[in-house]
Amino acid sequence: MPVNDKNTPAKLTGQCVSIAYGQHRIVEDLDLIVPERRFTALIGPNGSGKSTVLRTFAGLMAKADGTILLDGHSIDTLSTKEMAKRVGVLLQGPVAPEGLTVRDLVQQGRYPHRSLFGRWSEQDQDACEEALMLTGMTTLADTALDSLSGGQRQRAWIAMTLAQQGEVLLLDEPTTYLDLAHQIELMNLITVLVHKHGKTVVAVLHDINQAARYAEHVVILKGGKITAAGPPDEVISAEAIADVFGVKSVIIRDPVAGTPLCVPL
Amino acid sequence: MTRLLTVLIFLLIGLILASLAFGDIPLSWRELFETITGSPEANLQNVMIVFDLRLPRVLLALLVGAALATAGTIALAVMRNPLAEPGVLGINSGAAAAVMVVIVLLQDPPAALLPAAGFLGAVAMTAAVYLLSWRGGTSSLRIILIGIGLSSLAGAATTLLSTFGEIGDVQRAMIWLAGSVYDANILKVRLLFFWLIIPMALAWMSSRELDLIRFGDNSARSLGQRVDLVRGVMILLCTLISGAAVAAAGLVGFVGLVAPHIASRLVGPSHARIFPVAALTGASLVASADLVGRVIIAPAQLPAGIVTGLIGAPFFAYLLWGRRHARE
Repeated sequence: MPVNDKNTPAKLTGQCVSIAYGQHRIVEDLDLIVPERRFTALIGPNGSGKSTVLRTFAGLMAKADGTILLDGHSIDTLSTKEMAKRVGVLLQGPVAPEGLTVRDLVQQGRYPHRSLFGRWSEQDQDACEEALMLTGMTTLADTALDSLSGGQRQRAWIAMTLAQQGEVLLLDEPTTYLDLAHQIELMNLITVLVHKHGKTVVAVLHDINQAARYAEHVVILKGGKITAAGPPDEVISAEAIADVFGVKSVIIRDPVAGTPLCVPL
Repeated sequence: MTRLLTVLIFLLIGLILASLAFGDIPLSWRELFETITGSPEANLQNVMIVFDLRLPRVLLALLVGAALATAGTIALAVMRNPLAEPGVLGINSGAAAAVMVVIVLLQDPPAALLPAAGFLGAVAMTAAVYLLSWRGGTSSLRIILIGIGLSSLAGAATTLLSTFGEIGDVQRAMIWLAGSVYDANILKVRLLFFWLIIPMALAWMSSRELDLIRFGDNSARSLGQRVDLVRGVMILLCTLISGAAVAAAGLVGFVGLVAPHIASRLVGPSHARIFPVAALTGASLVASADLVGRVIIAPAQLPAGIVTGLIGAPFFAYLLWGRRHARE
């Protein structure tokens, strides 16, 4: 589905963002725009800083320099709780304490909405039920998390971030370790969240063809810098793949979706 | 849950009654009943034994057990490590070192000074561990590693001091450290009760924070928790609670580790449920340890701390056995 990015307002914007681990700068002067109510994919080789950028935009890592705006306001002015009400984050390989059920996990998503000693409200309950329903986890709600398959567990974690009811979802490699069927299922879920529920989703993806097929906005990172950003049709080219991944390829049309498909030589 | 709590409370009442009846001078149930109800047939000696000696002692054991279990529950959640107990924060080693310093360096220190020294040593040690592990924020692993390091340092200092002390003094310190409630009196019980009630209530009210912090710093933060603040406050509560328990009874080991594990096995991962069950379990453990220690080789007595150690080691094996097929 073609989207004209120029007409889409920015939900998250990074201006001249630099990120450092100690003295070592990983990301320098990054300008990133995440269009509202769109699915944005961050791609790039290992060590290109994708996850670091995602964590920084989630407010989990301090940046060395620059500004990150959420709806035009700096995220530095938001408290941890306010941020969590608006931005849900799913990091790689999250670990839950032993013995939790899916429902226990999803209910944690309501943390930012509750005051210190506040009671569990009907609103909290509704948000959880909705999150379970959207991820197709309603029937598994009372199952122990440990007994789920990888794909189900990933959906349970996404349900938790959905229970936060933020407008933005940041997902770090959500499809890694999932088999093909679960990957497709997850991508379809993201599409539904974006188009039916008006979420803005940013996901770090490893699979370029997956990004090209499902995302409307693709950002390519290399060495902490953005080398290209825009709709997949414009961004994914044989030159770009060669430049960023060092892999020779031809780009053909995906016979099903019509999106660019990268075939390595 | 209600049924479990009822069972635990009945168990506790049974333990209290047994602790009041058994001892050097055993009371029959009938005598005990007469004494408690203040019947005119009760003899004065029994009244004194029950109300002045055994009752404060069992009450102190209950309080110490509940406190250690609560502190252990906090440590387990905050450190996110199945082996974490308040001792990891340096509480035990700090208390031991301070008590040894006071006993060895001061000639004949007043008895009231020992608990105070123990408490201050525990607090100072925890503060040192916390501050040394601060690097623009804390991390559970850093706290554990620094805690273990400083603890063995303090342990070495304690051993060193004990070699220089008068044998009599060192023996006194050892007895104090072994963890016992033998010198309980009603004043001590009251003091500990009023000291504990606020931090323990606060800990229970923060159940939800502990539920979340167990997910790890990044997950908790992304859900809106101020992780460093919560960890700091919870460590403070843990120190206030277990420091007071150590001051009252010396080093009673394993309860802080075992009781929370038993509780979470019984009622699942929610801290709002774990806290009361762990507190009752801990109270039962220390009370029964003291009871066993009093009667098993009577008229000599084993300190409760040694008995809990004897119970603790097999439990440890059980814990490992139970986890042998666990993931990770």
